[in-house]
Amino acid sequence: MAGRRRGRIGGGVEVLDSIYSVVALVFILVACVELGDAATAVDVYRLIQYDIAGVPYGSRLAGLNHHAGASFFAPGADLSRTVVMMPVRELNLTFLREYIISNQPLGGLLLLLPEKVGNRIVGKIKSKDDGLMRNILVELEQLLIHANIPYPVYFAFEDDKINAVLADVRRNDATGQPPMATTGGYKLLVSIPEPKRVSSPTITNIQGWLPGLKGDGDTNQLPTIAVVASYDTFGAAPALSVGSDSNGSGVVALLEIARLFSRLYSNPKTRGRYNLLFGLTSGGPYNYDGTLKWLRSFDQRLRESIEYAICLNSIGSWKNELWIHVSKPPENAYIKQVHESLSDVANELGVTIGIKHKKINISNPRVAWEHEQFSRLRITAVTLSELSAAPELLESTGGLHDTRDSLDEAAVYRTIRLVAESLAKHIYGHQGRNIQIFADNSSLAINPFYISAWLDLLSRAPRVAPFLSKTDPIISSLKKELSDHTVELHVQHETIDGMFSFYDSTRATLNVYQVASVAFDLLLLLALGAYLILLFSFLVLTTRGLDDLINLFRRPPSRKVKAA
Amino acid sequence: MTVFHFFNCAILTFGPHAVYYSATPLSEYDTIGTSAKAAAVYLGTALVKLVCLATFLKESENGNFDPYQELLKVLINFIDVAGLYFALTQLTHRNISQNHKFQAVGLGWAFADSVLHRLAPLWVGARGLEFTWEYVFQGLEANANLVLNLSLAALGSLMWLRKNKPRILIPIIYACAGVLATMPSITRSDGKYLFITTMW
Repeated sequence: MAGRRRGRIGGGVEVLDSIYSVVALVFILVACVELGDAATAVDVYRLIQYDIAGVPYGSRLAGLNHHAGASFFAPGADLSRTVVMMPVRELNLTFLREYIISNQPLGGLLLLLPEKVGNRIVGKIKSKDDGLMRNILVELEQLLIHANIPYPVYFAFEDDKINAVLADVRRNDATGQPPMATTGGYKLLVSIPEPKRVSSPTITNIQGWLPGLKGDGDTNQLPTIAVVASYDTFGAAPALSVGSDSNGSGVVALLEIARLFSRLYSNPKTRGRYNLLFGLTSGGPYNYDGTLKWLRSFDQRLRESIEYAICLNSIGSWKNELWIHVSKPPENAYIKQVHESLSDVANELGVTIGIKHKKINISNPRVAWEHEQFSRLRITAVTLSELSAAPELLESTGGLHDTRDSLDEAAVYRTIRLVAESLAKHIYGHQGRNIQIFADNSSLAINPFYISAWLDLLSRAPRVAPFLSKTDPIISSLKKELSDHTVELHVQHETIDGMFSFYDSTRATLNVYQVASVAFDLLLLLALGAYLILLFSFLVLTTRGLDDLINLFRRPPSRKVKAA
Repeated sequence: MTVFHFFNCAILTFGPHAVYYSATPLSEYDTIGTSAKAAAVYLGTALVKLVCLATFLKESENGNFDPYQELLKVLINFIDVAGLYFALTQLTHRNISQNHKFQAVGLGWAFADSVLHRLAPLWVGARGLEFTWEYVFQGLEANANLVLNLSLAALGSLMWLRKNKPRILIPIIYACAGVLATMPSITRSDGKYLFITTMW
């Protein structure tokens, strides 16, 4: 009898157990359909961090470990522990400027640049929107570079994953729940070592020498003409500063001119009576520091033999008007000569060349144009540029907006034609005559594929000088190319002027995690506790009986009763 | 709160075993030795099953349902049943009643199963920053598994330990045994076993 009763109770337990297992299985299978998102990893590029004479600029922190938010105005949000994610095209620049200048706290800023298509950030200006985007990027860059920001600022490209995250974050914000540790949401994590000062940022100047034809009776040094372009860039995101127009266009023009003249000079019959000096200088954004050091390294004879120098700066997106910038008054004989020879060719091509005069102020350390460094050493020089006004410090040095599509290859072609023809006229003494040396379809025609290929290469190589090592691939490529076109190559390594210091950590990986809030974990703990207690009571009830369960709670009172 | 989440999932996965032990008369009769022995037998069974699977099972090239492979898997799952038989009948237990013996063996079996299959993923995965429901589901699965193993052990004790069974129930018992023994190959994905075999 007792055995049968026990068997029946045991059988009852088993039936309940099997039903329970089936229910649990069904629940698991149904709930398996919806699982949480996996973590996303995105490439991000840090805002530059640098000092000028000890004054800090840029973003001073690198590590990021905060919740994501989508706007500055979420109610009740603690912005000092939030990373605000914003697409650049929805940015309100005046508000951002106010926010940064008034030093308001923020956990971090993640700016989303429009989707990268190939290697282009902004396409050709086909619509008003593209032009607007370019203006926004220019203004944003200037704001961020000149501000001292005590929290990390990162740039990322919009893609599907991060757009999905942004949409989710916006939805969470819209429900009125600000992102904090207790409400769940997304957490953005960048683990990157703290930025250290770059110990000796080097600048590398590359020069190529094409000697002219020395006649038998010539004992004097032949005069030299120099063509110079600075190749390095500076921008808000150093890992993205490819500077296609400033000054990739100048570099490509210089290389093509070198190629053309090396062809002319390879045959002694067509070698001119001028030496040609090609200089690819670095340190352009830092008051043309590299050019200064390069010129100082010349010996006296060479310096005195330079008749004039043409500096190329941003010649890639002009239509009809190009500018010559001079520091000597335009009435000066040499300047007049240069201007006239350029104007003659310009007239043939149907474009105009304007002349702008800017006096040098010796006491002002700011060097706005490359030719000013030449002028300070009493060498006649001009800068040829599409910019009509002198750029401020760290302005127009290549940046987020300056990519391959902002260039017009035809403009580069026209500039090369202009400079090459006027140089040739001067060297071979054809002033005033209507001769085209580098005509199309001749053996000396300017090669548009060469231009295109080099522009592509330069548009893929960020060239911020302190982050370029001496053996960087782009420097090696430039060295090799220039040595192919010239007879003698010389490389000079210097360190950047001590006034500027830079900090590393320019790119990182951002991990996006979907986290549950602390409240959720506590809730789960409570639920589990309740479940276990229920299970315990259920098991005690079924296996030992109700009396045992009650006895578990009644022991202390019964002892008291016994004592009494 | 990621260690917190790990702690929660660990409670969900292993808590019921502890609760079962303390709530039922098992704790009064101090049957922990039996459970420990059952866990050891489970370990041995799992190893033998792995070796057999690795030796006899082929990777299916095109994922078609191959009846021979499935038959082989079912046969190998019977090793499970054999292991349970061994644990129930062959091991020397202290003098505990049949009722408690099968519960202790089932509990030890389920606990070993949970530890072997779920502890490592839990430790590695649940401590990360990213939140997924996966480990909560795993815990629920462990609960269901406990129930399953207890019922298996009950069935086993009915089949092999009790001498006087009512006549009618015998075929039902054996049919249930057959279904329960092959159920692991239906509920657990085949991929898990294939993964284990490729690991070898």
